[in-house]
Amino acid sequence: MIEVKNLVRTFKTGDRTIKPVNGVSFELEEGTLASIVGKSGSGKSTLLSLLGALDKPTSGDVVVNGVSLAGMPDGKLTEYRRRDIGFVFQQFNLIPNLSALDNVMLPMEFAGVRKPMRDQRARELLQQVQLDPEKHGRRINRLSGGEQQRVAIARALANEPKLILADEPTGNLDEQTGEHIIELLSSLSRDHNTTILVVTHDRQLANKTDRRFRLQQGRLTEEPARDRAGAAAGVEAGVGTAAV
Amino acid sequence: MSVLARSVGNAFRNKVRSAAVVAVLAVAIGLALAMLVANQAVGAKVQELNASVGTVLTVNPAGGQGFEGGGEPLTPAQAARAAGVPNVTAVVGTKALRLRNATEAAAQTAAGQTGGPGGGFGGPGGQSATLTTSLTVAVDAGTLGNRNQETGTTGATGTTQPVRSLPLTATGIGAEVDSTGKALELTEGTGLGDYTVSSTKALLGTTLAEKNNLAVGSTFTINSTTFTVVGLFDAGTAFGNNALYVTLPAAQALAELPDELSTMIVTVNSMENVDAAKSALQEALGSDKADVTQGQRNLETAVSSLDSVKNISFVAFVAALGTAGLIILLIMVMLVRERRREIGVLKAIGARNRTIGLQFVLEALVLVALGSAVGAAIASFASGGIASALVSSNTSTTAVAGRGAGVPGGTGFPGGGAGLPGGGPLGGASQLLTSVTASASPGVIAAGIAAVFGVAIIGALVPALLTARIRPIEVLRGE
Repeated sequence: MIEVKNLVRTFKTGDRTIKPVNGVSFELEEGTLASIVGKSGSGKSTLLSLLGALDKPTSGDVVVNGVSLAGMPDGKLTEYRRRDIGFVFQQFNLIPNLSALDNVMLPMEFAGVRKPMRDQRARELLQQVQLDPEKHGRRINRLSGGEQQRVAIARALANEPKLILADEPTGNLDEQTGEHIIELLSSLSRDHNTTILVVTHDRQLANKTDRRFRLQQGRLTEEPARDRAGAAAGVEAGVGTAAV
Repeated sequence: MSVLARSVGNAFRNKVRSAAVVAVLAVAIGLALAMLVANQAVGAKVQELNASVGTVLTVNPAGGQGFEGGGEPLTPAQAARAAGVPNVTAVVGTKALRLRNATEAAAQTAAGQTGGPGGGFGGPGGQSATLTTSLTVAVDAGTLGNRNQETGTTGATGTTQPVRSLPLTATGIGAEVDSTGKALELTEGTGLGDYTVSSTKALLGTTLAEKNNLAVGSTFTINSTTFTVVGLFDAGTAFGNNALYVTLPAAQALAELPDELSTMIVTVNSMENVDAAKSALQEALGSDKADVTQGQRNLETAVSSLDSVKNISFVAFVAALGTAGLIILLIMVMLVRERRREIGVLKAIGARNRTIGLQFVLEALVLVALGSAVGAAIASFASGGIASALVSSNTSTTAVAGRGAGVPGGTGFPGGGAGLPGGGPLGGASQLLTSVTASASPGVIAAGIAAVFGVAIIGALVPALLTARIRPIEVLRGE
């Protein structure tokens, strides 16, 4: 379970102090597919970076399966990212001179998985994300955007993380490919019992998730979920914790 | 894919840039290796020069320098005293003999000239009466020789004298070294071996042997004694090879002066002790009895020139090495800056700082390895030329100034512009200076490449450490 407790992140620009994340709290159960929507510059990516330990909060805490990230040393945070987190980025962020297979094997190499095992698992994952086996050995720059995002999702799943954080995963894809990707994430969430949090400004995509949050001026509110369509107005997540 | 495989792949990610980097590195590394090879070659030559003459002192009778004449001959007792001086490791006595061709001498006698050659033939160093030999001198008298001859042949009779050749130098030696203390280079046969008065063995210079159609095993005479040629030597000069060596006791017996030495060649145990040993020798022998000269003094300028070449080549080696390191540093800093986001990605997916740092160091070493391979090829072709250019530009003045300036001494026979047989130490030094050959030995190249790799690791460590400062949040830049 992921618990976010009163998370704050401030930046100073000259004399001004801005708070893209301002007292955010929420909980996510295992296997949940959730989304955070908000306008550009609303702090979605900042919140994602705090959850993924890419950045450190000014205050507050993130607790993953009972382990607090606050005050954790850099080495431990690296280990947390390696074992517990999978990232999917809008611009894929794959290593361009490596093949699809090598990209998927990379997190496993960092985790010390032996070569034959990581090779086998990488192939399985690429198959799961429906990448043509002929393209497993191809360099990233010879794959289409949709194929690259599939590779990125496979890479995110490599070390069987508890939480996958996806930052605008369909932002660089056409509508149809984007729908395929979100269906893929949804099925992975179900099949692997993995919690997936998608940051997006695409409301249609957000409607397909189990839980929807809106980030506005650093504050997070939960909107009615699709299985509870027609329910009353959303709850401000930072005030009254909403758990499913 | 391992870190190494990834590093090799990264090194060739941009082939054009990698080729340019390798080319620049190859020039710097090639220059560094060429300078190292030149440095080693010059260093070896300096050692050789120091080893050959650097620790040798020559003792002559006081006042017996050059044509000055006078003084008392040296004695075996003085040789024993010299051997007792601290830091002296060996004392070799010599006895110089002046030989004239027997047929020519008979003709001169018949013509009424009984005295020795005058003027330029003044025999310094206690040389006694001229001995006769069956040998014919191999060197033409030349302008100087004939000029000296004219002066000397104006005898009491006033008659025109027959044309004479130069006298021949025979040196009695106590060990197989030439009159400068340098080991004789035998081209054929063996050494004298038996240093007793009964020895009739002789070593001949190659040109003298050739002139007289002599080979190892042939015989010739000095006065009435028959000598056997046991070896031929090459002194490296025409006059040096127009000489012969017999044992010291045999020479003393021929001169009928068993207790006389023309010179003593004193070897000191190290360069550092030469000055002290020289003073001690002078004191032990007495300044009114013997003059102690130092061949090394004459050589010092030449050696210092080579030393400056050595220093220049070392500085250039360090500079080229530093340049290679700087190139690596700048290239890797550029690559780290260029790949900030990629480093962020690696950190985001769980790569440790040391893994990323190692990847960059290995990538630098791949480029250095390629640069070293090309650089070693450049060095193997260029090192000889660079060494020669450095030596010639730094030693030309010294070599010209030193040429022909043999060691003055009682053994200096005149005629034809020749100094000592075999030339003085500086004459030899001039030859040695011009004979510095730089060959790129595998050991030196390997040592140079090891130094290059050491510098490259240092150069690559700085940017590798920079990667640790890049935060994983970089991955979200531009998202």
